[in-house]
Amino acid sequence: MQDSIETSQAVLRPPDQAGVAEPPGESPGSQTPMIVFDDVTKVYEPSVVALEGASFTIETGEFAFLVGASGSGKSTLLRLILKELEPTSGRVIVGGRELGRLKKKLIPKLRRNVGCVFQDYKLLPRHTAYENVAYALKVQGIPRREIRQRVPEVLSMVGLAKKMSSFPTELSGGEQQRVSVARAVVNGPPLLICDEPTGNLDPDTSVGIMQLLYRINMLGTTVLMATHDREMVDKMRRRVIALERGQVVRDERRGGYRAIEE
Amino acid sequence: MRTKLFFSEAFRSLSGNISTTVAATLTVLIGMFLLGMFIALGSWVLSWSDQVEGQLEVRVFFEQDATPNQINRVGDQLVALPQAESIAFVSSADALDRMEQEFPELVANLSSNPLPDAFEIKPGSASDVEVIAAALEPVPPGVESVTFPREVTERVREVASVIEFVFLAAAVILLIASTILIANTIRLSIFARRREIEVMKLVGASNWFVRGPFMLEGLICGLLGSISAIVLLFLGREFALPKLIPPAIGGDSGVSAWSFELVALIILGVGLLLGAAGAGITLRRFLRV
Ligand SMILES: Nc1ncnc2c1ncn2[C@@H]1O[C@H](COP(=O)(O)OP(=O)(O)OP(=O)(O)O)[C@@H](O)[C@H]1O
Ligand SMILES: [Mg+2]
Repeated sequence: MQDSIETSQAVLRPPDQAGVAEPPGESPGSQTPMIVFDDVTKVYEPSVVALEGASFTIETGEFAFLVGASGSGKSTLLRLILKELEPTSGRVIVGGRELGRLKKKLIPKLRRNVGCVFQDYKLLPRHTAYENVAYALKVQGIPRREIRQRVPEVLSMVGLAKKMSSFPTELSGGEQQRVSVARAVVNGPPLLICDEPTGNLDPDTSVGIMQLLYRINMLGTTVLMATHDREMVDKMRRRVIALERGQVVRDERRGGYRAIEE
Repeated sequence: MRTKLFFSEAFRSLSGNISTTVAATLTVLIGMFLLGMFIALGSWVLSWSDQVEGQLEVRVFFEQDATPNQINRVGDQLVALPQAESIAFVSSADALDRMEQEFPELVANLSSNPLPDAFEIKPGSASDVEVIAAALEPVPPGVESVTFPREVTERVREVASVIEFVFLAAAVILLIASTILIANTIRLSIFARRREIEVMKLVGASNWFVRGPFMLEGLICGLLGSISAIVLLFLGREFALPKLIPPAIGGDSGVSAWSFELVALIILGVGLLLGAAGAGITLRRFLRV
C-alpha cells in the first residue's frame, strides 16, 4: 500500500521565532514585517530584466502566493530572499535585516531560518532521502539523537516513510520534491519559501502538501509560495502577489489566480 | 558527530575520483620515502663524522735515536699550544704493549722493538688538527714524522654531502610536487561537487562545514602516502639493508642513524603538513564560500 500523507499535528513544531523574525530593539506591539521588498530590480547580465521595481511587504505569520507566467520572475524573487542573488537596485529586508548589509558570515544563519523548497529540488545526489533531510539539521549542530527522531517524522509527514534510504536518482520527481519539502520544514523555520512545491504532484498528494504548509502556517511560520496551481490558489483565498514581466501587477489580500475581471 | 560527517563526506569524494587520489598519494609516498632515506643517511653521516672527529689525533713520531732532551723540547712546544686539548706520551715500549694486545700474532716473531716513541695530541676541535700540525712545521730535530688523518675524513664527508644533496633536492622537489597534486585532487573534487556545495550553502552550511571534508581529504592523502612510505622504509631497513651493508659497519660502535621511530614520526608530521598545505591552497583559491 502506498504511503499516505500523515496528518498528525504533533510532529510539527512552532518556528523558533528568536531567529529571523525578531530584530533587536523592536518596540513591543508592532510586529516586524517578515519580508519587505523596496523597489527591487534585478537585471541578469547582460540585459535580462527579471524583476523591475518590485515593492511589497509580507507580515509575520502571513500565507502568500506568488503567481505569474513562466519567466515572470518568481524564482528570481525567491532567490533574492535567500541572498542567493544580489538585487541590482533596491532593498530586500528579511526579518528586519537588510540583506544588502548582512555580513557574509551571517548568511548561513539567515538560510537556516528560511526553509526553502527549490523548484529544481536541489537534493544532494550522493545522499539518501534521510541524509538530505538530516543535512539541514546537521549544519546547525543539532544533536544526533534529535536528528534520528525528527527526520523520520518529517519524512512520513510527506508520505516518504518507506523511501528514507533511497537516493535521489531512485526517486520520482514528485518524491524528490517532497524530500525537498521535508528538508525545508524539518527545523521549523520562521519563514518558508516554496518554489512550486506541488509542481510535480498528483492532485491528492498536492492537497496533502498544501495541508501540510497550511498547518505549518497555522503554527506561526510565514509562508511564501510561488505556484502555477490555479485551482489551489482560488480555493485557498489567501493573499496573492502577481508578477508580470518582472513587475508586481496585482497584490490582493484574498485573491485568486487571475484577477476578477470586471 | 560533525567529525563523523566530515569523514564520511571526505571518503565519499576520495573514492569518487580515485585516479587523482592515487596519483597524489603515490607522489607523497615517493617523496616521503626519499625524505626518510635522507634523514636516515644524513643522521648516520653526521654521527659518523662526529665519531671520527672525536678520534682525530695528531701523532708525532720520533726517530729511533732521538734524545730525551729533544723529546722534552717538543713536549714543551706542544704544551704551549692552546689548541692541544690533551697530550699523551707513548713510549716505544707502550706502543709495543698496545700492539701486542691488538695484534698478538704480529708481535710474536719480532726480535727487537721497531716502534718509535710518540706524542698523541687530541685537538680541541677538528679544525685545530691542522693548526697543531702546522706548529710542528718544519719538523723539529729528532722528529721523524708528523701525521694527521685529514684526507680520509674529508673525502668521506665530500661524498656524503653530494649524496645528501641529491637526496634532499629530490625529496624537496617531490614534496612540492605532492603538495600540488594534493591541491589538484581537491580542486577536482570541488569542481565535481560544486553543485552539491552550492546546495549545502543554500541550506545553511557554514564555510567551515563545507570545507571540513575537503580539508580532511588532503590530510588523508598525506597520511596514506606517509604511512605507506614508513612501511616501505621499515621493510627496506629490515630486509634490504643487512644485505647491502656488512654487519661490521652496520653494527659499528657508536655510529648510528636517528631511531626509526623518530624518522617515522617526522615523515608522518610532514605528510600531514603537506596535506593541509595542499588543501589550504585550493580552498583559498577555489572555495570562497
Ligand atoms: N541565471 C540567469 N541568467 C540570465 N537570465 C536568467 C537567469 N535566471 C533567470 N533568468 C531570466 O530571468 C527571467 C525570470 O526568471 P525566473 O526564473 O525568475 O522566472 P519564473 O517566474 O520562476 O519562471 P518559471 O515559472 O518558469 O519558473 C526569465 O526571463 C529568465 O530567462
Ligand atoms: Mg521559477
